[in-house]
Amino acid sequence: MDRRVQHRPSLASFLIFDIQIETQYSIGMPNKGPAKADVLQGTLDLMVLQTLATLGPLHGYAIAARLEHVSTGAIQLNMGTLYPALMRLEQRGLLRGEWRVTDNNRRARFYHITAVGRRQLVTEKAEWDRMVSIMHALLRAQG
Amino acid sequence: MGSHGVHHARAVASAGLETSLRTFRELLRRLWGTFRRNPTDRDLEEELEFHLDLVREAGQHQGGTPEEARRAARLHAGGVAQAMEALRDQRGLPRLDDLSRDVRYAIRTLRRSPSFTITVVLTLALGIGANTAMFSAIDAILLRPLPFPDGDRLMRLRQIQERTAETYIAPVRLEDWQRLNVAFDAITGYFMEDVSETSGELPQSVRRAFVGPRFLEVWRIRPAVGRGFTDAEHTTGGPAAVLISDRYWRVRFGADPNVLGRLIRIGTASFPVIGVMPASFLFPDRDVDLWFPSAVDNTFAQSRQATWYAGIGRLKRGVTLPQARANMEAVQARLAEQYPETDAKLRVDLTPLKETTVAGIRRSLWLLFGGVSLLLLITCTNVAGLLLTRTAHRHQEISVRIALGGSPLAIAGQMFVEVLVLSVVGASMGLLFAAWATAALRAAAAGLPRIDEVTIDGRILLYTLVSAVLVALFCGTLPALRSGRADVTAALSDGKRTQVSARTSLQWLLVGAQVALSVMLLAGAGLLLRSFQQLSRVDAGFSVNRMLSFRISGNFGETANYDRLIARIDGTIDALQALPGVDAVATAGFLPGLPVQFESAFALVEATSETEQRMVAESRPVSPEYFDTMQIPLKQGTPCRRQPRGAAEVMVNSSFVTRYLAARSSPTGLHLISGNTNPRPSVITGVVGDAREAGLDRQPVPTVYSCMSAPNPTPYFLLRTHGEPQALAQTVRLKIKEREPLRSVYDVAPLEQRIDGAFAQNRLRTVLLVAFALAALSLACVGVYGTLSHVVSLRRREVGLRLALGAARSGVVRHFLLQAVRVVGVACLAGLALSFAFARLLAGMLYGVSAADPFVLVTIVAIVMAVATLASLVPASRAAFVEPMQVLREG
Repeated sequence: MDRRVQHRPSLASFLIFDIQIETQYSIGMPNKGPAKADVLQGTLDLMVLQTLATLGPLHGYAIAARLEHVSTGAIQLNMGTLYPALMRLEQRGLLRGEWRVTDNNRRARFYHITAVGRRQLVTEKAEWDRMVSIMHALLRAQG
Repeated sequence: MGSHGVHHARAVASAGLETSLRTFRELLRRLWGTFRRNPTDRDLEEELEFHLDLVREAGQHQGGTPEEARRAARLHAGGVAQAMEALRDQRGLPRLDDLSRDVRYAIRTLRRSPSFTITVVLTLALGIGANTAMFSAIDAILLRPLPFPDGDRLMRLRQIQERTAETYIAPVRLEDWQRLNVAFDAITGYFMEDVSETSGELPQSVRRAFVGPRFLEVWRIRPAVGRGFTDAEHTTGGPAAVLISDRYWRVRFGADPNVLGRLIRIGTASFPVIGVMPASFLFPDRDVDLWFPSAVDNTFAQSRQATWYAGIGRLKRGVTLPQARANMEAVQARLAEQYPETDAKLRVDLTPLKETTVAGIRRSLWLLFGGVSLLLLITCTNVAGLLLTRTAHRHQEISVRIALGGSPLAIAGQMFVEVLVLSVVGASMGLLFAAWATAALRAAAAGLPRIDEVTIDGRILLYTLVSAVLVALFCGTLPALRSGRADVTAALSDGKRTQVSARTSLQWLLVGAQVALSVMLLAGAGLLLRSFQQLSRVDAGFSVNRMLSFRISGNFGETANYDRLIARIDGTIDALQALPGVDAVATAGFLPGLPVQFESAFALVEATSETEQRMVAESRPVSPEYFDTMQIPLKQGTPCRRQPRGAAEVMVNSSFVTRYLAARSSPTGLHLISGNTNPRPSVITGVVGDAREAGLDRQPVPTVYSCMSAPNPTPYFLLRTHGEPQALAQTVRLKIKEREPLRSVYDVAPLEQRIDGAFAQNRLRTVLLVAFALAALSLACVGVYGTLSHVVSLRRREVGLRLALGAARSGVVRHFLLQAVRVVGVACLAGLALSFAFARLLAGMLYGVSAADPFVLVTIVAIVMAVATLASLVPASRAAFVEPMQVLREG
């Protein structure tokens, strides 16, 4: 599992202590076949928000499981990737987490999407669509 | 596409704002997270454990060998530590976290060695505090503009006659300047006099300023209470009015809120108070308590030769000084054409008001600032040495940390944070010291211009903070670098044994630097001290002891009837002469021994050469009894006599004769004409000896004494007393009250005290520099002591071996002593070289002493060597008490 970390200029970098914002997560698939999929941080946010918007409150494992399921195994999030991302989204106010008891009577932290998160989801989806169509047009043009 | 594009653009813009808000929120949360660990580590671990459990369960359900399951679980378990690390990084701000951790560790470490910490903090407090105090003085006095709106636009206007002589400005000319110029918003003038205010029980001496029209406009100051003067009040016979100072309001009227309309009495006239000036308004003089409007339309104000006003003006926005100067030159040229007899020989000089106010102390202040900065440099060097010693003692701890995987960079960084903590704490204490020091300075140097403006404020705090950081950088770099390079194996292999090769050359270098800089400071201080001493030995040429000086209040209106004025003054002189305990009485226009120069050009009526037509000399009005009172010897001719205003007699001094009248056989009987005031020729009746009346530190100058007892309504009275001058003050007061109950006696002081006071700045400068130099020397000696102790403790084993092998104890002591003395000796030489290089800085401040005075320099070196040797004796002799058996047993 490896992780490439880069600085991305942001509002925070104007402050004295710049925040290391991880912009690239490599989602490694140990002992599984070909290329590790490098996914931009923004798309991870999008995936998490969409999952929660669709399925309602979930805990971290469930989110990872769902994404693995939907992508038929291509995306396997490790803990070191998923949970910092969830914390970050919570710090930004897009999610809120709370401790609950599962059906098996165990304590777990459940995350649900906030109103702000929903708005952000809409924006991000639109942006994603726009990006896809631009890339599509570009790649087709060269072809 | 159009509306869609607009819609899209707007969406993008608001999305950008949203993102910024989100990021800001994240920042706040993470900032909070550095101080309060929220969510806690336990919560995070619990969450991760839950995740792990589910992964394990999933692995079991999927089948697969228990081997695979266990390996997968292990792999995931390893991820917990890394996941926690990533989560912690996300929770807080990693850089800030690191810094706060370093700071907490630094505080813990420093607490463990309290003597070291306290020493360093106190030393830094002294150095930074003194530096800050001095800087606050420089900032308030030299750097900041005057405390008025647009203070840098205030200008002093001077009327210069015959190239050098400044004269006061006639009111009509001032009005002409105001009318004709284009460079100024407003020009005005003022003059001051001391009068008696008689509305109270006793006559009170008070200083008042007469101000021309537009006075408040120039300053752009409004009275705190009431109003300024109207134009009507600036006319003769117009309504009476007076502005009072804040101090006068509090002291005289008890801060009465209904003070407007209350009356002030000067002589026989009463003046209603129309306003109170703000407390910070201290112009033209900090002693002025009353401001009166000057009437510019009365008869004697119309003469173009009147000498009334000191001029000030406010430049228009956007006009530069050269432009203003050119404009005033043009204006005066026009006036010269219009009034050739009076204005042709005059020119206008413009100087920024701040410049005229502070020019005198500029050099002293910068010299002191240089001294205190040197002291700070020595302080930092001292602390750097202390830190190096401490780092050497901690090399074991550091080696262990490196062996355990710590990065040298992190360790160096952490050492630097320690120094930063010390520096910040020291700087805070230094600020307290600086606050006290500036208060002390305000009290001790009350006569310095703008001294009341010296405070500690935001700018000074910033300066202190920056100093703290720079000090930390300076002191901390070397030890931090050293700490990163500890020799791991050597330290770990042998716990007890210390390094045989004592790498202390760097510390000796630092000590040497301290000594060299101290020598430099000491040399400067020593030169100033000796100069001051030489000054006190100067023969003034007149009697300084047993002289009482004072003034009796009068007012400008008395000049209307000069004969009556002269009669009054002469009568007072006679009355005082009759008092028991008084040997002689005289009056003078200026106090002798104080640097007030009033040069005039004289022409000899019987002139036969060029020089005799233009003789520049100091012009001093004195009463005929002056020379006897001041015990200035008569060299030739006869003393001048009392006379009515008609005939004018003058005396000249030997310098004048030597300079201008050497060709003449006898100067007595010759006639002089002065261009300035008296168009009638005066006759020289005699020659007197030279007296250093322009200041004890100046050579006597050619002087012409005009014999008149009343040059103005308030001349200085000089009494030669039989006993202590101050003891006669009360007797004098009573006599004057008896003669003239409406007049007050003020400005009473022995002449000696005044002349001392003239050197107040000189004295302050010398005292402060000596204090800095002594502090520097102490620090340097402490440095020598500390370093030698360190060396001795490092080489204990070697010393023990030597002693065991038969070396004499005295030899060992001598060895260490010589090591220290060698360093100090070389450093002294370096310090002397530096002193020579910077000797120029003291030029102009020394009297009777050259910048390379051998006596002073040799004394300084001797003192430094002696004190340093003394400081080295203690640690060196400690080496003699090493027990060889014990050292060898320690192995």
